[in-house]
Amino acid sequence: MSGVTLEKIVKSYGKIEVVHGIDLVVAEKEFVVLVGPSGCGKSTTLRMVAGLEEISAGRITIDDRVVNEVAPKDRDVAMVFQNYALYPHLNVKENIAFGLRIRKESKANIEKQVAEVAEILGLTEYLERRPADLSGGQRQRVAMGRAIVRHPKVFLFDEPLSNLDAKLRTQMRAEIKRLHKRLGVTSIYVTHDQVEAMTLADRIVVMCDGRIEQVGTPMDLFNHPKNLFVASFIGSPPMNQIQAEVEASGDKLFAKFGAHRLELPMLHELGANDHGRKVTLGIRPEHIMTQADPDTDAIEVELDLIETLGSEALLHTTVMGKPFVVKTETRGDLSHLENVRALHFKPDMLKVFDGVNGDVFDHPERLK
Amino acid sequence: MANLSDKSRWLLRHFRREWQIYLMLAPAVIWFLTFLYTPMYGLQVAFKDYSIFKGVAGSPWIGFEHFQTLFDNDDFIRSLKNTAILSAYNLLFAFPAPIILALMFNEILNQWYKKGAQTIVYLPHFISTVILAGIVLTAFSPSAGIVNTVLGWFGVDPIYFMSKPEWFRPIFIGSGIWQEAGFSSIVFLAAIAGVNPSLYESAVVDGASRWQMMWKITIPSILPTILIMLIIRIGNLLEVSFELVLLLYQPATYVTADVVNTFIYRQGIQSGQYDLAAAAGLFNAVVAFILVMTANALSKRFSRTSLW
Amino acid sequence: MANMNLYSRGDKFFVRINMVLVGLFTLATLYPFIYIAAVSLSSGMAARSGVVVLTPVEATFAAYQQILVDPDFWNSYLNTFIYTIGGTIMSLLLVIPAAYALSRPQLIGRRFWNLMVAFTMWFNAGMIPFWLNMRDLGLLDSYFGIIIGFAVNAFNIILLRNFFESIPRSFEEAARMDGANEFQVLWKVFIPLSKPAIATITLFCVVARWNGFFWAMILLQDEGKIPLQVYLRKTIAELSDDHEFSSTLLSSLYSAETVNAAIIVCSIIPVLLFYPFIQKYFNKGILLGGVKE
Repeated sequence: MSGVTLEKIVKSYGKIEVVHGIDLVVAEKEFVVLVGPSGCGKSTTLRMVAGLEEISAGRITIDDRVVNEVAPKDRDVAMVFQNYALYPHLNVKENIAFGLRIRKESKANIEKQVAEVAEILGLTEYLERRPADLSGGQRQRVAMGRAIVRHPKVFLFDEPLSNLDAKLRTQMRAEIKRLHKRLGVTSIYVTHDQVEAMTLADRIVVMCDGRIEQVGTPMDLFNHPKNLFVASFIGSPPMNQIQAEVEASGDKLFAKFGAHRLELPMLHELGANDHGRKVTLGIRPEHIMTQADPDTDAIEVELDLIETLGSEALLHTTVMGKPFVVKTETRGDLSHLENVRALHFKPDMLKVFDGVNGDVFDHPERLK
Repeated sequence: MANLSDKSRWLLRHFRREWQIYLMLAPAVIWFLTFLYTPMYGLQVAFKDYSIFKGVAGSPWIGFEHFQTLFDNDDFIRSLKNTAILSAYNLLFAFPAPIILALMFNEILNQWYKKGAQTIVYLPHFISTVILAGIVLTAFSPSAGIVNTVLGWFGVDPIYFMSKPEWFRPIFIGSGIWQEAGFSSIVFLAAIAGVNPSLYESAVVDGASRWQMMWKITIPSILPTILIMLIIRIGNLLEVSFELVLLLYQPATYVTADVVNTFIYRQGIQSGQYDLAAAAGLFNAVVAFILVMTANALSKRFSRTSLW
Repeated sequence: MANMNLYSRGDKFFVRINMVLVGLFTLATLYPFIYIAAVSLSSGMAARSGVVVLTPVEATFAAYQQILVDPDFWNSYLNTFIYTIGGTIMSLLLVIPAAYALSRPQLIGRRFWNLMVAFTMWFNAGMIPFWLNMRDLGLLDSYFGIIIGFAVNAFNIILLRNFFESIPRSFEEAARMDGANEFQVLWKVFIPLSKPAIATITLFCVVARWNGFFWAMILLQDEGKIPLQVYLRKTIAELSDDHEFSSTLLSSLYSAETVNAAIIVCSIIPVLLFYPFIQKYFNKGILLGGVKE
């Protein structure tokens, strides 16, 4: 099976440890995205899989073979770099063929393979051009062609879309996804952009400070973030946060902040004896309503600004002195939004996080 | 112990994987050891009574005797003095020349004229010292040379330029400027090209003249480059082009022309006093080293740019 | 900026004066070449009596005929080609791989090796120990001695190393993942990417070799091995003795001056032919390549 397994992977430069023992299993044909802020160790981890960085401790297996001491070229992996690393002195065809030439494949075979890959990527008419004469998207395709042509067991992507403008990025994102469906090769993809992670991944690995925060499917991470970091990293615009205090009243729990009080959902890990405990409320902008419902609590706000996106709009307000964003539908008209004076919350749309360590209460994995 | 074997295992793995870069480095390292570091080891003859038959290592030590001899030798003292004077003249006349030239080029609007002039003034840089000397000797020859021909038009009797000590320095510095001023101006032209054009545009709007812009914008802007080049120059102060001296001087002009390296050449290569000449060379090298280190320290201080 | 009509009267005056001054300096630079060419084409009598100013007087090819029949001249010309081509190739063979190795972060002792190279720019043992060393190595009077003895130059290594260091690491990494070894990375990726820098150091080597004379003069006793510059130097030495020219030359069509001038012209011609090709590399990089920001 062409999976990749990381066991207790550590990377240190001298005395400074930057990756602190990562465990991860990537299944065959799976598309896994490592995401996190810059400096979280995601690129380093990818480069250890590629063999470009030495592994300080732990074990990496590719296809059930331990590759710690295997040179990059013998790992049967291919990598797409952030700056593409296309050789400016070679044309597209020669760039794609570079790896095959180095491996002394027969001329006829190289021709055939390059033609095939060019066909897949729609590069056939550009084969004689130099990278300098290509557009950003075309260069990106050549970089992928260079990886595909070798038929590796694993594809590694190191922020491959970050040099493209927003529109192209969306387009290439879809193309990568399509390609993965077609070729079905195990892929590990590094990015700092959560949108890319959400759209591309079978599973997302959220990393921070050299550790894995959470692994799961995109919807998993969106609906059940393990902690405040994951919750705020996944989703756009990011989750709103409110510092609050637990108030037990009767058999219900409330979150108190300033003059406001919101009813909390029923939680196994939070009870009456948690009265006075500091928590952070997490509320996704899409989970806030502008109109009252039978089971909602409301807080009064003043609108600072309305950003129109077309079918949706972002309402910017301030709660407890901090920016608070609401995403709502316009239904083609803004007038009903301009008069919004109160926001309405359903208890089960609130996430409650420990005020000290940021862990969410009642994560499904822990409750099992 | 575990640490030690870990380390050696790591080294073994490193060399098995990376041996090729060491193979690439090896020829150059061997070259440096053979051709530059072995002579440094050979510098010990400066402290020895060197004999060809006993070799560098076998000759007996005599301490600082050669240095004493040198500093009692009027010719050596004279060569030190001449080196210092030629360097000072170089700094005074040859250093500003390319700066002025670059400023002048910058004021030329006709690109065709500018390119043509640059092509010509860069050319002498690529001419060998021997050819330069040949041209100088021909031009300044008393009977055949153009200089005396022109002087003759004004009724001046032929001057034996090359055998007159007082003429050596001007001719030496002048031919240096002829050869290098143009090419050295490239650095300053590049610095001028780097000046933000909007500075000039706002000056034009303010009604500044070209002359004012040169003094108030161009020169202050290229001052850091001038400073760096000056510092490099100070570091190489002792590097008077002794090959040119060797080709232009004659016994009659030794009094102003003989520099340390030509002294070394005569003492060592021509008279075979290797140990004494090596001592002079060592003295020269140590002073040069101190100058270079000082220059580098200065450069770091003033511009946060290390020269190497 | 280039529109002269927008200039004030003072500015116009300034610009014109400047143009004249630059023109004068340019002519002063050019004149010696014209003068030497004129002398080389004049008769010995005319050259001796100092009447040549701008154009040949009593024009003749006698001086050229004189040197073109001299086998030593042709021999030294050939030797210069051997030293220039052999020396430049040797330099590139030593300098390029070393610069590449020194630019690799994984090289153990990188600081030490770099210092070992750079130190030779700050301190050198000088003429005598170098000469004694060449003698001890048995490299006096040898083509190989001249070619190998001056093959490496710390400045060139550092210039090229800096250029290699500026190439993004991903180029090397991509090639490595494609299965290239270090030699292939250097040959197929770094050298093609570094053409301007390599052209620059090639230019340095060629010019230094073509013009080099001092060490060739000292190390080569055998007349058959001397390069053109040393040959030229021998004839120039006769010029610097003001007094004695053999009277037999006086009446003839050529003189020491014209012969010298002819040799100078012959030696400059290849430089002039080469000059247009090297002109495009004149930029800041050439002179400041060793300066690290």
